[in-house]
Formats: sequence, structure tokens, C-alpha cells
Amino acid sequence: MDAGFYLQLLLNGIVIGVIYALVAMGLSLIFGVLEIVNFAHGEFYMLGAMLAYFLTMNMGLGYAATVVVVTAVAVCLGYVLYEALLASLEGGGFERSILLTLGLSMVLQNGAVFLFTTTPRMVQTSQSYVNLVVGDVRVSLMRVFALALGLLAFGALYLILYGTRIGRAMRGVAQNRDAALMVGIDPRAVSRLAVAIGIGLSGLAGAALAPVYAVHPLMGFSFVFKAFAIIIIGGLGNVAGAAVAAVALGMLESVIGGFLPLVMVDALVFSSMIAMLLLRPQGLFGRGVRV
Amino acid sequence: MMPGWLRGLLVLLGVAGLFAVPRITGNEYVLALGVSFAMFSVLSGGLNLVYGYTGLLSFAQVGFFGIGGYTSALLVTERGWPLEAGAACGGALAALVGLVIGYSSLRLSRHAFAIVSLSFAFLCMIVARDWVSLTRGAMGIPGLPVPVLHLPGWSWRLSRPADFYYLLMGFAVIAQAVIYLVVTSRLGRAMRAIKLNEALAQSQGISPLSYKLLALALSAFLAGVVGGLFVFYLTIVDPSIFDFYYTETMLIMVIIGGPGSFWGVLGASAVLAALPDLLRFTTDLRMVLYGAVLIAAMLVFPGGVGGWLQRRALRRWRRPRLAAP
Amino acid sequence: MRRMRLAVAVAALAALAHSGFAQSQEGPILIGASIPLTGGVSMFGQHSRWGAELAAAEANAKGGVLGRKIEIDFQDNRCNPAEAVKSVTQMLAEKKYVAIFDGLCSSAALAIMPLVERAGIPFVVANASATSIAERSGVGGNKWTFKVNPTDASMLDALVGWLDKEGKAGNIAFLGEDSDFGRAGSTGLENALKKRNLKLAGVDFFQKGNADFTPVLTKIKARKPGLLALYAVDADFQNAIRQWYGLGGGVPLTGRVLVDQVPKEIMESGFLDGTTSVQPYDPSVDTPGNKAFVEAFRKLHNVPPILVSFESYEAMKVLIDAIRRAGKADPAAIRDALVTTKMPSMLGTVIDFDDHNLAHNNAIILTIKGGKVVVLGMSKT
Repeated sequence: MDAGFYLQLLLNGIVIGVIYALVAMGLSLIFGVLEIVNFAHGEFYMLGAMLAYFLTMNMGLGYAATVVVVTAVAVCLGYVLYEALLASLEGGGFERSILLTLGLSMVLQNGAVFLFTTTPRMVQTSQSYVNLVVGDVRVSLMRVFALALGLLAFGALYLILYGTRIGRAMRGVAQNRDAALMVGIDPRAVSRLAVAIGIGLSGLAGAALAPVYAVHPLMGFSFVFKAFAIIIIGGLGNVAGAAVAAVALGMLESVIGGFLPLVMVDALVFSSMIAMLLLRPQGLFGRGVRV
Repeated sequence: MMPGWLRGLLVLLGVAGLFAVPRITGNEYVLALGVSFAMFSVLSGGLNLVYGYTGLLSFAQVGFFGIGGYTSALLVTERGWPLEAGAACGGALAALVGLVIGYSSLRLSRHAFAIVSLSFAFLCMIVARDWVSLTRGAMGIPGLPVPVLHLPGWSWRLSRPADFYYLLMGFAVIAQAVIYLVVTSRLGRAMRAIKLNEALAQSQGISPLSYKLLALALSAFLAGVVGGLFVFYLTIVDPSIFDFYYTETMLIMVIIGGPGSFWGVLGASAVLAALPDLLRFTTDLRMVLYGAVLIAAMLVFPGGVGGWLQRRALRRWRRPRLAAP
Repeated sequence: MRRMRLAVAVAALAALAHSGFAQSQEGPILIGASIPLTGGVSMFGQHSRWGAELAAAEANAKGGVLGRKIEIDFQDNRCNPAEAVKSVTQMLAEKKYVAIFDGLCSSAALAIMPLVERAGIPFVVANASATSIAERSGVGGNKWTFKVNPTDASMLDALVGWLDKEGKAGNIAFLGEDSDFGRAGSTGLENALKKRNLKLAGVDFFQKGNADFTPVLTKIKARKPGLLALYAVDADFQNAIRQWYGLGGGVPLTGRVLVDQVPKEIMESGFLDGTTSVQPYDPSVDTPGNKAFVEAFRKLHNVPPILVSFESYEAMKVLIDAIRRAGKADPAAIRDALVTTKMPSMLGTVIDFDDHNLAHNNAIILTIKGGKVVVLGMSKT
């Protein structure tokens, strides 16, 4: 095996990891601020990709504009989701939040199957089949776009969380809810924004990946369970931890997948999550599952 | 509140009625619905024990069901074991696995348990599909033979649908009786105390972990046995026994019936196992409707039908005292 | 409202209890189909339905069979044996159907087989691929099950024979979904190669719904196989083919490749030239029967037929032909008529069943040359 082979595996892994991170960071943010596990997170990724498909292929919108529109719509959906469903759960139990969002996921997923059938749809742009080639290493242009969008989102999220008042408030709530209340942070405003950002990231992921993967109603389902594993490995509620764990997992999967059977890789993700819970329940980067 | 003897009589009549069904009608579809009800009542009853009474949200039930199914099918076909031994072994293995995942994750928190139970169910599916030398992979094990049940002094060849109806209904009645005895005994009260306030229960000398594990192991055992019996009715076991759809259906039964309400969940299992089929309810949108019901239940009706009845009874019980100052 | 619903339920129960003698001699002849209408493979269920309905509509347009119309009732089985048993038991209990149709998924079909045997009603399998279905049918035990589509084993044997002639069978890597479709593909290829003292160069399985194939494709590319046997359908196929193109795999495909679903851009680029695929059907087959079928199908549904639509169409035609020859709408008579089936297929052969109640229609060997699909030939399975 030559160096090109390993480089190719690493490059694939980075792209996969950043894609995971886009979904997992939002999930982690929502858990951190609201202590809610959002089962429907993958469905918003699916809806984002579906919307991107209809905007580009049916309405003839350009790809860049599509990404902006989809993300904006997803942010609005996040607001609605919080106000309509999640606000009433505030402090009202982890199990209820799982069941509620599971119900939402069933509605969205099966509703999408009913409306659009499971036929895969492909977003075709003029760049769809353009590849970048350096020596033996190849990557398709749309994957590079997705990677760039992902990194852009990392940066934006970092700026919000560390550079703005509301971001600091968000981190405050995530670290210690009671203390944050005591210093006068409005938990409702913070929660609303956290959900909006989380769902927005999910929608962005959908728009970024619509030209990379086939778009269909079941695409969010398998994705979100991997994201669960990632936020546990990264430390529940720890957004940066989730990002690091996602990229690490993507690269690990790719490198291992280069040698071992692919299904072993899937089993590996879940077993490493269970092992993590047993050995280091606070996750790799702290702030563990709290009772 | 109806008097105890009346309730007992009603239950006896109900059970007698269920067992009389194959004598009244030879309609195999009615029997199939009965089998489906018996299976789901055990699964949702076990889930109710774990979630409704003890407060642990579990997605692992379908995993136990499948483990029981595979174990029993393999032992009977490959080792020539009798059905009862295969199914019991399936139940025992499911209970053991339940103890392992329960013990490892419950030391941390209920949250960890919920997520581990979900991953466990997915791992089961992967093993069933891809550990071909053990489970024969995606093809499953088709053509399971007509099993023979050896009871003391009597061996029973289960060749007709009515036989499976009697078998599964009989097991469901036993399982429900066990669950009922548990939830109405001191055990059940301790479980409810843990659900309501774990710290308080602990201060009263209740060890939460052992009660949680007991509930989990019992529900896993029952699910495993019912899986071990059910696959012979189907004559095939394949990875779709771990279908997430079963988990969703069980959850809906518990939520609509009311977590922590024995009769509520039993009633919901009966209604949901039979009614959608009887009404030829549109399959396209059934899961959408189930999801909407789940959302609505969590928002406005968290106690389910059982919880609502209980609240009403409680209000009636309280009223005279409040009226007389 | 609640009372009304209860009344409906009671009425439904009562109707069920009395439906035993409902078989009318005047109304339409009813066929019961159990296929996935919901769940992950509902798209195939839809195509099976369209294919079967077209066959029935054509028969009805010619005045029906035995002077009566053909009607098909479709019940959902989610591709799950438990649901298949429930749906078929329901149809059998109503006693108004003359035959059961399809199942679509192997596990569902296998679970239906004991039911139809007990009820004494013919069961025509159109799409399920497991070899165990035919092994258990006819002289294998179940006299009521008939499988119209060829098994993977026989099709792949034809394909490997073709590849071996051109000296290309020696270095095939396999990548398939971990379902009955993928497993049947890998064992079928392995057995066909073993007969010629050859082996697969590598076997990989993926989980259905897997979106990113780049790790495993990179691994396969580094092994430098001569051909890649790709067993993926639907979204998985689209993802795998695009990523294989993105990685510059540079190796043509083989196996049961869905050549009609390759994106136009990839096809026209010539990237897949040299691909050799075997299928029970391809819409481009140049026979008058197929041209008429494709046109009629397109007119109704705006999409070209796929393999599943074709298999259900021809299997339904086989069944209707048997009902006609039976001379009466009686399950046992129809079974006896099925045994002696001799129906011309639109693929140019005559469909008849062997002693395992398995038909041996032609398999089509396709290749991609200069960015176009070319039918290399047909081979009896």
C-alpha cells in the first residue's frame, strides 16, 4: 500500500467527519442547553436536503442561494419547533423529550415517504461530476464545497458561542443551569436560540450534502444514530467535544474501513460508544450524562 | 371502584372468553389477530413494567424479543431441542443480556440507559444481518419445523393456527398474571417509589439499582420467551424481527394505555393490535398518525388513558372531603 | 364519535365471522397480493403493483377471463414476514381470493408458503430472489408455490460463463448490501466461479442506508480488481456509483448492475465502458412485446418500468393465463393449470415450470459500450 492510499483514506475521513460534525454539533448544543435528546434531528437534515433538491432542480435556484435559503428556513423551523413543542417540556423530563421528538420524527419521516416516496433524487449541478486530482488522490468538487461549508459553520458557531453575549449566556446555561438563572439569564431566549441554531446547522448539513449524497426520506434516520454516539463520545452537551469526536470518528471509520469489513465499522461505532459510557461516562471531553 | 370479587370474576370470564374463541370461529384471521395481540401484550406489558412503573425508557425490548426468537429457532432446528426448552433458553439469554446492559449503564444514569438500550437494539440488527455463521445472515432461518411441546404426561404437536393461538394466549395470560402480581406487590410499590423520587426511595432503604435490574430482567425474559414461541408461528426468523417499527408500536401502546397502568396498557395492546387491521386502516399514514398521537400524548395527555382514569378516580375520591370543610 | 367507531369495529368483526361463503360466481375474480407498500422498499412494492395492475388491465380490456373481470387486492407487508403472515392470513380467511401473489421480499414469500399450502391456494412469486423458495417447492414439498423469476444462482452462472469466455472472470471484487439480495449475489457468484476453479478477489458488505462508500471503495480500488460486482439498489446504488466515479475507480462493474439507473453524465463519460451485467430484464430489450409494455407503462406512470414492474407484469400474466386454462375460478384447478403453463414471454422464450415449480426465463446479458447500454445476448437460466 502506498502513501496515496493512506492520504486518500484520510481525506475521505476528514470530509465524512466534518459532515458528521455538522449534525452532531447541533444535537449537542440542544442537549447542552435544554437537556433534550432530539430524535427528530436527522429528519431536519433530510428536510434540508429535500428542500435543497426542490429549490435547485425544480425552481432553478443557484446552489449558493439555495444553501442560504435552506439554512434560513431551518433556523425559522427551529424557532417554531421550540415554541410549539419543546418549550412546554422545559425541565420536564428527559424521557418525555425523547418520546415527543420520536413522535415528531415518525411524522416527518413517514409523511415524507408518503409525499415523495422513497425514490432517490439527485441534485445535479454543472459541477456534480467535477473531480479534483492531485497525484493519486482524488476528491469530488461537491465534497470540497461541503467541507468548506462545514468549516465555515464551525467558525460561525465558534464566533457566536465565544464572541457574543447570547453565546456566552448559552454556554453558561449549558455549564450550570441554576447558576445561569441566578445571574439573570433568560433561559427561554437562550433555549430558543439554541434550538434555532441546532436545527439551522442540520438544515445546512442537508443543503451541503444534497449534491453529494442521494436525497430520500430515510436519509436522516441512519445518520442521527451515529450522531447520538458522537455526542456521547464527545461528552453530552459539549459542542466542541462533539465536533472533535465527529472528525475523529470520521477519520477512524475511513481508515479502519480501508482494511476491515464495512459492517464491522458500524458495529464499532456503537460498541465504542457503549465502552465510552462504561469507562469514561463524562465523555472524552467532560460534562457527562447527568441524572 | 368495583369490588375485588367482581373484578376477579370479570377477569376469569375474559380469559375464558379468549380461550373459547377458536371453538366459536374457525376464522384463521381472527386467530392471527389473537396471536398478534398476545405477542404485543407481553412486549408492551414488559415495557410498561420497565418504563411505566420503574421509569426507565427502554428501546431494548425488541432486541430481547429477537434474541429469544433466534435462540429458540437455532436450538430447536440445529440441536433438536424441544420447543419449551428452546424458548425458555431464549428467555434466559435475553434476561442475562438485559442484566448486562442494565448493570453497565444504570450505574451511570437513566439517560445513559435509554441511549445504550437504543444502540443495543441496533447492534442486535447488525449481528443478525452480518454474523452469518451464527445467525445465517439476512436470509434468516426459513422453514422452521412444526414444533412439539412436551408437558408432563402430554406432548402437544403445534400444527394448526389454533394450537399457536392457545399457546401464545396461554403464555400471555401467565405473563400478564406475573406482571400483575409484581406491580401490585411490595416490589411494584418500590418500583413506583423509585420512579417518583429516586433519592427519597433510597433514603427509605430501597436499593434502586436492584429493583431496576429486576424489572428489566423480568421484562427481557418474558419478551425472549414470547419471541421464541412466536417465530415458530411465523415459521421463519430473520433480521426484520428487530424492526424499529415494533419498538414504535410498543411505545405507542404503553403511552396511549398510560405508563404505569396495568389495565390501560393491556387494553391499548388489544385495541392497537387488532383495530387498525380490522378497519383496513390506511397503512400509508398509520405511522404518521402514531407519531402525531405520541406528540399529542406528550404535550397534553402524558398519563395516557390509564392516567386519565386514575386522575378522575382520584378527583372523585377527594371531592367529598374538599366539599365538607 | 367513539360509539360510532365501536359500531364500525363490531360490524367489521361480524362481517369477518360471516365472510366464509362470500365467494360469488358473478363478481370479479379476486387475486390477493402481499407486497411492501410502506417502509424502506415501498418503491419496489409500488412498481410491483403497477406491473401487476397493467397485466390485469390488459386482460380486462379484452373482456376479462371466463367472462369476469380480474381484480387484485394489495395488502402491505412492510417486507416483514410477521406482517406478511398477517396480511395473507386475512386474505385467506375471507376465502374470496383464487390465488396469492408475490410477497416481493424473500423472507415474506418464505413465510407465506406454509399458509398457502395449508389453505390449498396457489401462490405465484414474482420477485423474491432466495433459492430456498424453489428448493422447497414442487418436488421439494410445497405444491402450491410457483416462482416465475429466475434464481440468482442460475443467472450468475450464465454471466460468469460469458465473462470466463472473455477471460475476465478471474479478478472480480464484490460489494453488496447485507440483505438477501446481496447475500444471494455473493454466494451465486462464488458458486459459479468455483465451478471454473476461480475465486472472488474480495467480498464486502454494507448496511442498507449507508450513505458514504468512500472508505470501502478506496480499499477496493487499491486491490486493483478487474471488475467490481456491485449489488446495491435505490439510494445506495446512486451513492456508490457516484462515489466510485468520484474516486476514479477505473474498473467496470458486473453482477446485477442496474444499468438503466446509472446517472446520464456518468454513463456518457464512458467511465463504465466494459461493464457486463446480468438481469432478468432490461427496458431496452428489442422485442415487440417489450416495446409495447414499456410504452403502456410509461403512458400510465410517466416513468419507465424497472425489473420489478416487469417481473410482476409477466408473473401476473402467467397467473391470468392459468385461470383461463383452468376454466373455473377455483384455486385447485388454477394450481393444476399453472403446472402445465406454456406461456410465451416477451423476452422471446416460453415460460414453463420445472419440477421445482421454477420457471427458467431468459437472463439478459448487457454491456456498456461507448457510453451506451448494449444487449449482448440472452441466456437461458
